[in-house]
Amino acid sequence: MNRFEVNKMGQIQTAEKMDPRLVEVMVGAIAGILGGLLFSAGAHSDLLQGPVIGALFGASFGFIFARRCANPGAGLIWGLGYAFLLWLVIPVGVLPLLSGAMVRDGMLATTRSQFPELVAYIVCFGAPLGLALGALSIIWPRIRPSAFSVSRALVGGGLAGAIAGLVFGRWMSAGGFYPLIAGLLKPGDTTGKSLHYAVAVAIGCVFGLLFQRDIRGLGSSVGWGAGYGILWWFLGPLTLWPLAGGQGIHWSYSNATDLFGPLVGHIVYGLIIGFVYATVDRMWVRFFSESDPINREPEGPGLRAWNAAKWGLLASLAGGLLFSALLWSTGSLSKLAGLADGSSALLGFVINMAVSAAIGVSYGLLFQREAPNLTSGICWGTVYGMIWWFAGPLTLLPLFLTGACDWRLTAAVSLLPLLVGHLLYGIVTATVFYLLERKHAEWLLLDLRVAAREERLRRSIETPAPALWVFVMGVGLLAPIVLA
Amino acid sequence: MPIKAANSHREASSGQSDSGYPKLRRPTRPAISWTIPLVGSGSGLIAAIALAISLHNIWVGLILGVLVGVAYAVISQSNAKPSVESIFTGAALGFPLWTVLNIVVIPLYSGAAPQWSAAGMRTLLPCLVGWIIYGALLGILIPSLNALFTRYGPEPTAATPRVAEHPCIRIVILGGGFAGTTTAEQLEHHFGADRRVSFTLISEGNALLFTPMLAEVAGGGLEPSHISSPLRTSLHRTQVLRARVTGIDFEQRCVFADSGEGAQALNVPYDHVVFALGSRANYFGNENVRQNSFDFKALLDAIRIRNHVIGMFELADAEENDLTRQELLRFVIAGGGFAGVELAGALNDFARGILADYPHLRPEDVQVIVVHPHAILPELSPSLGEYARRQMEVRGVRFELGRRVLDAGPGTVKLDTHEIRTRTLVWTAGTAPNPLLRAIGLETDKRGAVLVDSTLAIAHRAGLWALGDCAAVVDAKNGKPCPPTAQFALRQARTLARNIKADLEGRKLDQFHFDSLGALCVVGYHTACAELNLPRSIGKALRFSGLLAWLMWRGIYLSKLPGFERKIRVFLDWNIELFFPRDIVQTIDLK
Repeated sequence: MNRFEVNKMGQIQTAEKMDPRLVEVMVGAIAGILGGLLFSAGAHSDLLQGPVIGALFGASFGFIFARRCANPGAGLIWGLGYAFLLWLVIPVGVLPLLSGAMVRDGMLATTRSQFPELVAYIVCFGAPLGLALGALSIIWPRIRPSAFSVSRALVGGGLAGAIAGLVFGRWMSAGGFYPLIAGLLKPGDTTGKSLHYAVAVAIGCVFGLLFQRDIRGLGSSVGWGAGYGILWWFLGPLTLWPLAGGQGIHWSYSNATDLFGPLVGHIVYGLIIGFVYATVDRMWVRFFSESDPINREPEGPGLRAWNAAKWGLLASLAGGLLFSALLWSTGSLSKLAGLADGSSALLGFVINMAVSAAIGVSYGLLFQREAPNLTSGICWGTVYGMIWWFAGPLTLLPLFLTGACDWRLTAAVSLLPLLVGHLLYGIVTATVFYLLERKHAEWLLLDLRVAAREERLRRSIETPAPALWVFVMGVGLLAPIVLA
Repeated sequence: MPIKAANSHREASSGQSDSGYPKLRRPTRPAISWTIPLVGSGSGLIAAIALAISLHNIWVGLILGVLVGVAYAVISQSNAKPSVESIFTGAALGFPLWTVLNIVVIPLYSGAAPQWSAAGMRTLLPCLVGWIIYGALLGILIPSLNALFTRYGPEPTAATPRVAEHPCIRIVILGGGFAGTTTAEQLEHHFGADRRVSFTLISEGNALLFTPMLAEVAGGGLEPSHISSPLRTSLHRTQVLRARVTGIDFEQRCVFADSGEGAQALNVPYDHVVFALGSRANYFGNENVRQNSFDFKALLDAIRIRNHVIGMFELADAEENDLTRQELLRFVIAGGGFAGVELAGALNDFARGILADYPHLRPEDVQVIVVHPHAILPELSPSLGEYARRQMEVRGVRFELGRRVLDAGPGTVKLDTHEIRTRTLVWTAGTAPNPLLRAIGLETDKRGAVLVDSTLAIAHRAGLWALGDCAAVVDAKNGKPCPPTAQFALRQARTLARNIKADLEGRKLDQFHFDSLGALCVVGYHTACAELNLPRSIGKALRFSGLLAWLMWRGIYLSKLPGFERKIRVFLDWNIELFFPRDIVQTIDLK
């Protein structure tokens, strides 16, 4: 097989003796078989069952997704999304329906019983397949690879990992464990702390290396970070740390229930990594890559930020009012007033609207130009609403009120109505924001100079974002419902 | 130049014969192709199988499936092929759809509380799976059916043309002052992204000058570019041509313009033309005065005056003869209206402020003289005019009231009573509408302003409009002529833009009416006069003077200054002045 070569026009010239699609399918199948062996061990299933499933999974993934796995990071996200969707459709959806298990046991029991399959799909198939096909694309590129800076990825990622690890260290010191290496570390263990920070930096660096090409702004980076944090929950507390502790793999739903706190911790950890990484990355690009006058934007960054913040604020009014109505109906408004040492619903409403406004402004600033259409906007809004449920009522609110995070599953279950509220808030805010942004864009796009610039800056549809939405929303929404 | 005898404007506005002038007849938004709802409902119906199974209610599942399918097809109108992106996007939409519909809307619709407890959400888990599968199927089916329709379906009929395919109505605005620029902005606002209408603005400069702050530029208080907003950035979809209008062919509907030395003459076709050509300095035919004085209308005039004043100080500093030194430092301003008084106040502050940098000069050498035939500031009430005069005299400004400038020569200004030795004469004593209006054959009043009716349309000439300083506008309510001020020009522009849109859509036109808000005049640092008219109270006004009026002047005009960026720059300029002396760098040499 000859190498793929990219000519000056960005087209791939090949004189291959082997069909590239066949290569991709084969690589997918081989990676799937290897993952299947791990699957057999982890799920304690038949030795042949895992490789067969893996081969089918890998071959289908290679056939469908190989061209989208332009790099390991994109491949990983597509792999995770594919694994989750496939798990939801086949083991949870179609197979129990056909076998009658759904009618007999109900969907909840089916989903819980299939939880080990989910972990296996993600850890054994989705993640390694995506990485393998992404690596194949790096070795034999089929499209012109986008610019990539290893130093930027390592510095930005390492810094993000260190800061996220530091934040975790402080928050979790009261609890006596560090989620990244939960189970390995005893309270007060200096070596464990050092290991925690080393792992945190390493995980941050990997984040930079994997996702630098796909992250466009702070918002998408936060979303990617959430997905990355969830992946590390599957990899770390559920798989690697028990193995390292010699306990064997226990992917059961009951084990996952015990590890719900670390799941929230990992999601928050991922959010911090994503946010800090994107901040450092964008600053790096501004300082060292895009500050030349030729690429200068006609509008200063301040004006763009002003517009985004303004639309976010306006959008949040709609979302905030809806959310306030939900809080009022659940009696949570007066509880919210506790933030200001009060107890009246009116004070709670004012606080909620103020918080909504701040989150709306942050949505505008983080997610400007991320949504090329309304459906993308709604999906980003849903993800953002969910992120704020993990970061707000589960993390920041108890932190402000009691000085410690409350990541217990029981707390999460009691806060499920707020999850719905956050999702609705995100959906409405993102929809209004998208409409305001589109109105402005339609106006601006009449100017051909601006149209060309907007085209360049706006996230295109062909990114792994849809797979990320499925994975993050799926795990983030199902976990508190199913694991409780 | 031939002039077409057009039908009356009233006919045009009522939607009758309009001499071939195009009208807008179609809605501005593109029509939705009939295939899109069809594709959406078909796809939704097939995908709804997943919903019907999970909801345990076939009819609810099918109805929801079809409705969501149509909505999804409409909001995601595209010719994209089916792809994993569309499948995953559809699947991801399953989550918000489940949250909104199953958790909140359906329970509320059926009279129950939202199902957001853990138990409720667990019960609805099958629906979540159903929605995700439904969304994924929708992501495959809609692009696939779209592709099928595109390939095998009927050709698009002429009944659903895109907006861009309509013939374009060309609106040309002549003049880039307050009236012209605001008209363009308002037209952009009213027509939005409607590509059936195009706008062109022809202006001699490439920026809108905020004239109320011009005196501060001459006085060195503000940077020149900070009070000018570039037309190309202020206007989003208007084509800006920097050129001087030289003529117009009413028969061929074409404006002629000259864009500068060596450049090709421009012929700009139009369907509607707006005259906003403003005014010019009026020297009443005195060529000597024109040649030996500074004009005070444009930004360059203010820059010249500032540099000239600094130049005079440089010369005076080296001059040993007392009379010559005083002649150098004597600045005469002809005209005691707003422009003249504000300029005198600013120059007086500037000249006395920079004295510290010229140790050989004495305060008594500096003289700023205002020549005016009547009491100053006739636009304000007499008491405020008198206050302004007193304040300025205390600060060292001299007034030659009851006198006129008859002639001027190098080093001298001749009044009707005596002569003043000076090297500086600034002319603010009169303006006249742009002479081009009379030259192209439009009907004008005695001043040369083009006659318009109360809708700002030029009578008996369809598609011709005028406003601002160059138009003789009569208020529709009180019958009084409108003064040639920015305040009125801005409101006229709003009415005119509305009227053009109404005319194109065959609606009734608005009559122009505006009650003046009042007037403000700064007479020196920390001192101003303000007269604000009370709403709905004819003749009653609130009068302010001193520091309060000065703060009002700054606040109001800062808010009126176009562009947020410019506001910040001017605000910073003003604050810098609190800490640092005014700059005496001479940026242009007038020798």
